[in-house]
Amino acid sequence: MPDIAAAPALHRAWTATDPLVSVRGLKKWFPVSSGVLQRTIAHVHAVDGVDLDIKKGETLGLVGESGCGKSTLGRTLIRLLDANEGVISYRGEDITRSHGESLRRLRRKMTMIFQDPYASLDPRHTVGDIVGEPLDIHRLFQGRERTERIGELLNLVGLNARHVDRYPHEFSGGQRQRIGIARALAVDPEFIVCDEPISSLDVSIQAQIINLLEALQARLDLTYLFIAHDLSVVKHISNRVAVMYLGKVMEVAPANELYRRPRHPYTGSLLAAVPIPDPAIELTRERVILQGDVASPVDPPSGCRFRTRCPRAREHCAEAVPPLEALGADHKAACFYPLD
Amino acid sequence: MISPLPIEAPVPPSTAIVARTSRGYWREAGGRLRRNRIGIVSGGVLLFFVVVALAAPLLAALITHTDYRSIDLINTFARPLTPSHILGTDELGRDELTRLLFGAQVSMGIGFLAVVVALTIGACVGLVAGFYGGLIDGLLMRFVDMILATPAIFLFILMSILFKPNTITLSLIIASVGWGSIARLVRGEVLSVRTRDFMVAARAFGASDARLIFRHLLPNVLHVMIVFGSLYLGQVVLIEAALDFLGLGISPPTPSWGNMLTNSETYFFHSSWLVIWPGVTIFLTVLAANLFGNAVRDAFDPRLR
Amino acid sequence: MPAPLLEVRDLKTQFFTPEGVVKAVDGVSFELHAGETLGIVGESGCGKSVTALSIMRLIPRPGRIVGGSVLFEGRDLVGLSAAEMQEVRGESIAMIFQDPMTSLNPVFRVGWQVGEPLVIHQAKDNASAGVEATRMLAKVGIPNPQQRARDFPHHFSGGMRQRAMIAMGLTTTPAVLIADEPTTALDVTIQAQILDLLRHVNREFGMATILITHNLGVVAGMCERVMVMYAGRIVESGPTADVFAHPKHPYTWSLLRSIPRLDADRREPLKPIEGSPPDLIDPPAGCSFHPRCAFRVDRCSHDDPRLQPVGDTQQAACWVTQAGTELPRA
Repeated sequence: MPDIAAAPALHRAWTATDPLVSVRGLKKWFPVSSGVLQRTIAHVHAVDGVDLDIKKGETLGLVGESGCGKSTLGRTLIRLLDANEGVISYRGEDITRSHGESLRRLRRKMTMIFQDPYASLDPRHTVGDIVGEPLDIHRLFQGRERTERIGELLNLVGLNARHVDRYPHEFSGGQRQRIGIARALAVDPEFIVCDEPISSLDVSIQAQIINLLEALQARLDLTYLFIAHDLSVVKHISNRVAVMYLGKVMEVAPANELYRRPRHPYTGSLLAAVPIPDPAIELTRERVILQGDVASPVDPPSGCRFRTRCPRAREHCAEAVPPLEALGADHKAACFYPLD
Repeated sequence: MISPLPIEAPVPPSTAIVARTSRGYWREAGGRLRRNRIGIVSGGVLLFFVVVALAAPLLAALITHTDYRSIDLINTFARPLTPSHILGTDELGRDELTRLLFGAQVSMGIGFLAVVVALTIGACVGLVAGFYGGLIDGLLMRFVDMILATPAIFLFILMSILFKPNTITLSLIIASVGWGSIARLVRGEVLSVRTRDFMVAARAFGASDARLIFRHLLPNVLHVMIVFGSLYLGQVVLIEAALDFLGLGISPPTPSWGNMLTNSETYFFHSSWLVIWPGVTIFLTVLAANLFGNAVRDAFDPRLR
Repeated sequence: MPAPLLEVRDLKTQFFTPEGVVKAVDGVSFELHAGETLGIVGESGCGKSVTALSIMRLIPRPGRIVGGSVLFEGRDLVGLSAAEMQEVRGESIAMIFQDPMTSLNPVFRVGWQVGEPLVIHQAKDNASAGVEATRMLAKVGIPNPQQRARDFPHHFSGGMRQRAMIAMGLTTTPAVLIADEPTTALDVTIQAQILDLLRHVNREFGMATILITHNLGVVAGMCERVMVMYAGRIVESGPTADVFAHPKHPYTWSLLRSIPRLDADRREPLKPIEGSPPDLIDPPAGCSFHPRCAFRVDRCSHDDPRLQPVGDTQQAACWVTQAGTELPRA
């Protein structure tokens, strides 16, 4: 049961110092069906009890390996998926079960940028159609005003407004991602979930898009949830970073702090595994190679989920689930025996 | 309230070249089709028959100066190349060429109408079933399975007894059996398109189901429908001929290629041209439809090459 | 200096598409010595994968090797017949691919697939190939190898499949292992395991390894020498430490500056490379990088630079650095 006392601002008016987006006890699971009759035999616990706050104007980075639930968390946050348990609040308002008109209004404030620039744009629509679709859905701007607005959006992301009648396949990957960003900005949102927005792009283009996202955030006062698996990129763009493993948050801290002094063993191993483009460092680094594979989200280990791969695991780790506790100013970790 | 956007772009613009040729999906497919010689030829043959079918009365008036019903008992079984009867006459002295022209109208008319009806019904069912999934999909697809499992011939016999077949009703009867295949095809394509990111994105921005189905799914499954339509045209012409043979189709004196073929069966040995002309037109139409359909499929999916 | 194991000379591979001729590999020359690890680094479309596939003679239509030679153990692989090349592949030169999900055949057991090269090249029977395969699976760190050998690929995770692929490549103890983006599709902790395995295998078996990747961090930790490719050409090559410490080509220099680093302060803004990768059907005149180059001079837009020695140990294809200009330190 979500802790009502810990849920922010459900019992008083929301102010700008409260988190913009907040989740408590969020759970999302997917049934696994099998057999001729397609009966549900198990569940994938994609998100299994997550508490997070995202402050207005910040970028919260969300990292983790495949199966950790970060994408599912992002999609559940903006109500693309329905949460099974828990509370999602936006500006203090409980939006977990919003539907109809209030959900539509919400979709003007929370939008999303997708990972694959080749799949996230309808190949049969022109750039103008794609960027203008959110405007049409919410019935904002008609005629000349609409055309002007689309042109301005394209210029804003560094594209030529004259290309408005072209099709996505005529653009490069980086340009298509810019189209996706323009689309996400069309309705003047406040909060954007960026789901691996640069993972499919070439290395030399990634920096362009990161700079664009940062500049847009400053200009338009945006708040980002930045989901990615590339830790170097996440460190650069985020104010705070949350690390997920098998559906749970293992650690949350300001970016520099997390990378300088990780407290959770998983974070430590993750950071130690990231290759650094500097041969001098790489050849002298201490290698902490985790054994085994990421456990299955269908049947996660008892107690602490990471214990099967953790070099510091002890008996107690199998018996109880470590809570996400504050270990310092604004630094939380879910571990009974955190790193120093 | 929508805030106005800042005037200058916050980062340097992307200077990548937009692709060399600005062609849409359709134009590129059209280009590939144009390079396919078999496709061009077969498309030309189909187009020829369509034009003939549309202009049948005009052509008859200009070339043969007769009506398809004019009986001339003096000149029965005239051989081809008889003056005033280029392709000969049939057992009642009716001019073959004129009957072929009007037969084109009937056979091609049935073909196109059946294709349009089958595509419309089938696409709607396929789109809805594929999009919603679950119970709706289950019910619709079981219904389609029933249609496809029933031997078409029984349905044809039943419906021919209930409705007197003219061009329009016969088209509907044929289409009522054929829409099942296209429904399955469209549903399959919808299942693969529906999970693509741009569909999720449209939903994330608040698109309604209707918008998702008609503005996003439909354009992306259109190519499947076009290919099916081309191939199905050939099938319908054959089905119509078969129904005529069974006496369930268009009845004389209205000529269709099928009933011309049927009626001339008994005269094969002494007036074989009466069998050959409608046989050739049916054969050419079906062959052209199949070849064109394959060419269209290749044009839309270059990976198959 | 002993003779190189593999010598590629002026290799040219082109794809003949309806839109035009794509010059995927446009005159690539390099040497590989026994036991060394060579990295080929570059972004998508630069030709690194096509180079590897050309060496293996695995170029799909509409592509073709149109020029150059690949000398291996004295023979030119480009001129070999299909049957002769088939003997080389898997036996002397092995290749592992990027996507472990699709590189294994889903309908055959893993052990059987891992042993297949032995059956093909060394005429072993299934039983002894199976024993050898199990041994290899153990060597690449798969637990319970006898049991796992009887599994099908879908029972294996991505990391384990990649290990199985490596085992398959090792069974015939080839002289050369080409790894084409072997860890790109894997999680970072699994990537670390696989890279560790590759390092271990390189040491223990003494195989020369060509590692193809777009990840500069991976190259830094794995390869003694590195080649940087851009638009079908090698633009820089040399010992990894030297190339990273003082790059001699503006592309390498810009690339190193544009990637966010784990050990950098997050407040430093990124310095991206402007523009986009070039069109391989109609590349820019002169140096193919010059439209995006911060150091270009007049000559770059009409003269095409060749790979020449720059500095003591490196080679670069750049007029500016060949003339003696030093690129600024990071």
